[in-house]
Amino acid sequence: MTRHEASPYATVMDDGHLTGRPIVRPGAGPYGGDLEVPEPLVTGGKTWADVDQDICMHAERFPTKRWWIAFSVALAFLSVLVVALVTLFYAGMGIAGVNQPVSWGSFIINFVFWIGIGHAGTLISAVLFLFRQQWRTGINRAAEAMTLFAVACAGIFPIIHLGRPWFAYWLVPYPNARGPLWVNFNSALAWDIFAISTYGLVSLTFWYVGLLPDLATVRDRATHPWRKALYNAMSFGWTGSHRAWRHYESAYMILAALATPLVFSVHTIVSFDFATSVMPGWHTTIFPPYFVIGAIFSGFAMVITLMTFMRGYFGMKHYITLNHMEAMAKILLFTGMMVGFAYSTEFFMAWYSGSEWEGFVFRNRAFGPYWWAYAIMFTCNAIVPQVFWFKSMRRHTLVLFVVSILVNVGMWFERYVIVVTSLHRDFLPSSWGMYALTRWDYAILFGSFGLFFTLFLLFVRVLPVVAISEVKGVMDPKVARGTPTRAAAAAIQEA
Amino acid sequence: MMPTSTTGILGHFYEPADALAAAAKVRDAGWTHFDFLTPFPIHGMEAAMGQKKSWIPYVTAVLAVCGILFAQGLQNYVMVWDWPMNFGGKPFAAWPAFIPITFEAMVFWAALGSAVIAIIAGKTDTIPQPPPMIVKTGATIDRFVLWISATDPKWDAARAEAFVRSLGADGVRLVDAAPRPGSPFDGRSGRGEHSRTAGLRRQDQTDEGGTHA
Repeated sequence: MTRHEASPYATVMDDGHLTGRPIVRPGAGPYGGDLEVPEPLVTGGKTWADVDQDICMHAERFPTKRWWIAFSVALAFLSVLVVALVTLFYAGMGIAGVNQPVSWGSFIINFVFWIGIGHAGTLISAVLFLFRQQWRTGINRAAEAMTLFAVACAGIFPIIHLGRPWFAYWLVPYPNARGPLWVNFNSALAWDIFAISTYGLVSLTFWYVGLLPDLATVRDRATHPWRKALYNAMSFGWTGSHRAWRHYESAYMILAALATPLVFSVHTIVSFDFATSVMPGWHTTIFPPYFVIGAIFSGFAMVITLMTFMRGYFGMKHYITLNHMEAMAKILLFTGMMVGFAYSTEFFMAWYSGSEWEGFVFRNRAFGPYWWAYAIMFTCNAIVPQVFWFKSMRRHTLVLFVVSILVNVGMWFERYVIVVTSLHRDFLPSSWGMYALTRWDYAILFGSFGLFFTLFLLFVRVLPVVAISEVKGVMDPKVARGTPTRAAAAAIQEA
Repeated sequence: MMPTSTTGILGHFYEPADALAAAAKVRDAGWTHFDFLTPFPIHGMEAAMGQKKSWIPYVTAVLAVCGILFAQGLQNYVMVWDWPMNFGGKPFAAWPAFIPITFEAMVFWAALGSAVIAIIAGKTDTIPQPPPMIVKTGATIDRFVLWISATDPKWDAARAEAFVRSLGADGVRLVDAAPRPGSPFDGRSGRGEHSRTAGLRRQDQTDEGGTHA
């Protein structure tokens, strides 16, 4: 008898055999009806021991040639960022494109863009955890790491936008020798400091708490005493004791419950930076939900991009299956429609409000000199994801990859449209102007991708990229269980 | 040959359901200083081990209130008391404007504090003598390991061994590997280069590992 026949739930499937539909067992259900069993979340008939091997392997061997190539490219982009930032600090803000009337330029665009990317990780780990979406276990570790790195990228931009970044610490309220001159707590910009730093630190905590049992797994596999001691310290001497699991699970649930409103609060507060001003096109009550859903949309697109690489280059196909990709495609379709709905609502409200200024801003957005940015935004965000109505498209790796890239391009242009079109033509035609990114703006934008991918590539080298203990929890024990020792097997045979 | 300094007994199971059933039997047999080491949390294990629910949520609630008080205190002190400034004739104590930071501070205190205290609780709120970390159990791989400590009031080595075998556990063995003080994996603080290497060597010699090892 092969092992998977031991249980009606145990099904050993390969990635290519997954259909995205439940397995029907005629007559196997209660009262003689059909039994529908979800397809396994881990394919290939993996055992728990295989999970350790497959996932820890990448952190335990010398990097592959592919990794070195990817890392070199990322480092090249990171060095572009460093050069551009040093130049910016040396020469001043004059080398960037911002000027009157467009005084918020690419730095604010990039800030909102990266914070948006950073929303998917905590959403996957917290919200999907509370909703008991077990497929999150395959992707949550990498998605949370992505969140941290995206927040790190985002954090650069408000600071360099200050113009005098060496005074960035003035944003922190502390007793000082300047009066004491405090920050203005009525300002949305002061709220931002608290929102972003809280989000970054809570996401880091959540991620690290999730890592603890897996670090212990890496420790137990380590052969070198230093490596063992290092991972032991990092896991705080985790043993897997159920007396520790009891508090751990409770704390994890609480972190999820706290992180869920936190995710929604962060982009809400970012949108307040715009909404609390009196600029037409910014001063709207739709901004918080509009920003939050856009952030989730772009974050999931980035997760799909990264997971495509992890499936292809890191051999994670058994853990990040096509079913996982399809689930993310469905979220992309849903949030894409929400974003499209928000674009339409803005236009409706501009007309319905009867405000001359509001109406002008929106006509100018879609048909003014920046019509091309609006067209890119609307096409990539509202129209392109509609291909995911078709199941074959949701399960097509290349389509998923291309759409995820287009969505990220579209979401960058969404922020471009919001920031630039509202500012470039304000109430007085005499003060109208145009905005263009300079080469330094481009260098910092593309350089920030270098920072992001450098951090991500280092992460996949040193830490388990899939949440081992969580994946083990959703595997079928009949398939995944360990085998008795030789002595015990002999004793069983004798009996 | 009976070990001279027995610290407890180990036995393992291969499926969470077996571990759950065994835990309930250990609880019902009146053992108290026992533990289960598992690769992932098992639903219902708290009840099977006779434990109460975790008290971490109360810690979170207290910390959340502290966070709220901190943020309200800071903002009102700065904006009303220390340096009141007139922004367009708005009131100094503009409470709606204080809500975002109050919320963020609440989450910050509650989340970080709960995580830190849960980690500390996992190390301290345990039985008097957990299994020595020097012993390879395979509990982080694929085994559900039962540990009964010799500190248990009911302890008797022969009886404990017979009991654990009766549960259907595999790999039952009495552990006398009380690690020397100074071993990096004894769960205590201490230093000593010599004992560290000696401890590691002994682990390789005496203990069987998980499926991989």
